[in-house]
Amino acid sequence: MICAGIDAGSRTLKVALIAPPSTKIVGSAVRDQGVDQQALAVEVLEALLSERGLTRSDVAAIGATGYGRRLIRGAGITVTEVTCQAWGVRACVPGARTILDIGGQDSKLVRLKADGSVADFVMNDRCAAGTGRFLEVLAMRLGVPLAGLGALSGQSARPAAISSVCVVFAETEIVGLLASGASPGDIVAGVQASIASRVAAMATGNLPEPICFTGGGALVPGMRGALEAVIGLPVTVAPDPQLTCALGAAILASRRQEPAGQRNAP
Amino acid sequence: MSQVIARITLDEWDRRYEQLHAGGLREPSYGGPLGRHAVAGDRRLTKLTFDRSTAALRLWNFLLTEDERLAGARGLGVKLLGTMKDLGTVPVMAASFDDVVAFYPDGAWWIPCLMENEARLLEIADRLGVDESFCPVRAMLGAFVNQRHFPVPDLLTCSVGATCDDVSAIAQRLAGMGHRIAWWEMPHRRRPEPGEETVLLSGGFTAPARQVEFVRTELHRILLVLEEWTGQRLADERLLAGIVRANRVRAVLGELRRIVYGTDPCPMPALEMLVAEMLAIHFCSDEAESLRVLEELLVEVRSRVESGVGVLPAGAVKVFWVNPVADLRVMNLLEDVGGRVCGTDYMFCHALDPIPEDLPPLDALARMALADPMVGPATDRAERIVRDASRSGAQAVVLSQVPGASHCGLEGLVIGEVVRARLGIPFVEIEVGPITDSIEAGLRTRLEALIETVEAGGRP
Repeated sequence: MICAGIDAGSRTLKVALIAPPSTKIVGSAVRDQGVDQQALAVEVLEALLSERGLTRSDVAAIGATGYGRRLIRGAGITVTEVTCQAWGVRACVPGARTILDIGGQDSKLVRLKADGSVADFVMNDRCAAGTGRFLEVLAMRLGVPLAGLGALSGQSARPAAISSVCVVFAETEIVGLLASGASPGDIVAGVQASIASRVAAMATGNLPEPICFTGGGALVPGMRGALEAVIGLPVTVAPDPQLTCALGAAILASRRQEPAGQRNAP
Repeated sequence: MSQVIARITLDEWDRRYEQLHAGGLREPSYGGPLGRHAVAGDRRLTKLTFDRSTAALRLWNFLLTEDERLAGARGLGVKLLGTMKDLGTVPVMAASFDDVVAFYPDGAWWIPCLMENEARLLEIADRLGVDESFCPVRAMLGAFVNQRHFPVPDLLTCSVGATCDDVSAIAQRLAGMGHRIAWWEMPHRRRPEPGEETVLLSGGFTAPARQVEFVRTELHRILLVLEEWTGQRLADERLLAGIVRANRVRAVLGELRRIVYGTDPCPMPALEMLVAEMLAIHFCSDEAESLRVLEELLVEVRSRVESGVGVLPAGAVKVFWVNPVADLRVMNLLEDVGGRVCGTDYMFCHALDPIPEDLPPLDALARMALADPMVGPATDRAERIVRDASRSGAQAVVLSQVPGASHCGLEGLVIGEVVRARLGIPFVEIEVGPITDSIEAGLRTRLEALIETVEAGGRP
């Protein structure tokens, strides 16, 4: 039996497949979002299944999450990203007590109880300064791919100070910094520190350890280090950090299939 | 499983109205189908869902005909008093005079929502220099300028000082435009120092006696202004009678809140309760009728409780809600995702508490004004929220911020910290402007995640 989790995020759509009772990801895909989320979800899911010689009839359950979760027809359950992140992280980073998630257009902080359940959460989806969008803007401005930012930040000798709290104005600052001769590496490191500060601010000093880092932002080299430098605590990047939310949705969908008595309740 | 009386859309209400009308529905003079308000411009109503009772129909019609009521009063020669930034103090005084109607111009903050910005009130405020860095209450300024939403009052009162920077600035602009305003100063309520005479206020707050005396003096000054303006003398006995009448409204509202917020399944939607609570501060320009409207709601609620029916399934997650929402749709949204309101702090809890009837009337009003949760330290307000939420059995707290509102920037952190530390229940902060359509997905996610967190009950 296969269960699928679809995370219809603001920037990308992610699909994760699991073969319960295992919670290990057996197939996954990430695509840039389009206009028709339902069509994209079907396309990505069917391509994934096809690669494995499977069809829709092999899929016992689908869970949908992310901002577009309600648009995914055929999902047996729809659950928010907060709950799905908790389930996904619990499966791949057991014992984590805090999730820092930097997505394409939002960021989240989820505090977990000892049993992995959600204690509380804070979300930022109103300001791009603490999200992956800032990194995208930076990459565009510097003319490098997103994946190349990490290498640049590694060359930084003295991270530039980004004083603006708004991406639009920060972009102007970046232009100014470039004009004044600041190195791209210092600018990247400065932007990463700025994002890390915004994310850390959501915690208001309350960051139970261990801390797990998820979302597309965790794929950008240098971001983990920037977070650690700001919060002064070790941060672990989740395996497949962009997929933890989809994984959680798949796990929750699979639980829906189990008789209540057999559920692995924490 | 208990029977659920689902909320209905505006179209459904209008069809139901036709049936009720054909069946001989008796209504007050301001009655009629709700759909007419949408046709007249309140387009947001088409995106809300409503309680289906005739009591709720009356409540909505009462709310949405206030401008007609004010115009009618003016036509009869009644004096109109606009009481700005006044959460239940001067309106009580004004209602004690003959031939005076007090209303709450600040209520115009809901017009951009109700009319989906069609009235362009915010743009008018923008042009007058009161831009989006201010609370949406700046719509009031636009309403004074375009004069399409309420008659320009004959006199305005406005409390300033510790009340609200935004309203103070707007009122100053109005004064500059030639509107006559009687100002009264509200000091920042502080805790008494050792040795200072202390007065216990409603809500569990305290204040130095000298602050109460200061506010009493301010209110006396306003009383003299009103006496001069009306040509009437307001003796203590008349003011006390006015307090007793206001307390009747508060008592009915108190009972309504006790039953609605404390009963499972919930017998009245959060949206109608928000509107009902608002009646406490200004009576929607007709104190006697607001009492009748609330009494009818109470009858409906009692009947539902007796029959075991509710407007939501039993067991909906109990949420304590802090601050009123600029977009009314959000109250529907909470219930759509499985929550229910079990208690509120819409910034005027003090206006729901009974006014002391055993004190000199101005002294009693001064104490109530000083008990305003917004005029003291944010920690005081947070303490009251914790106490009220705890009593209500809340499983979660929602702090709804108002974009641009000066108080929100500071108190959110304080309230969040105190609630988390003291209650240990999930807490979420949202920001609700007049129209939330474009951010509804984000709002829904926050509220839904809150409900999921509670429902998981210790499990992910």
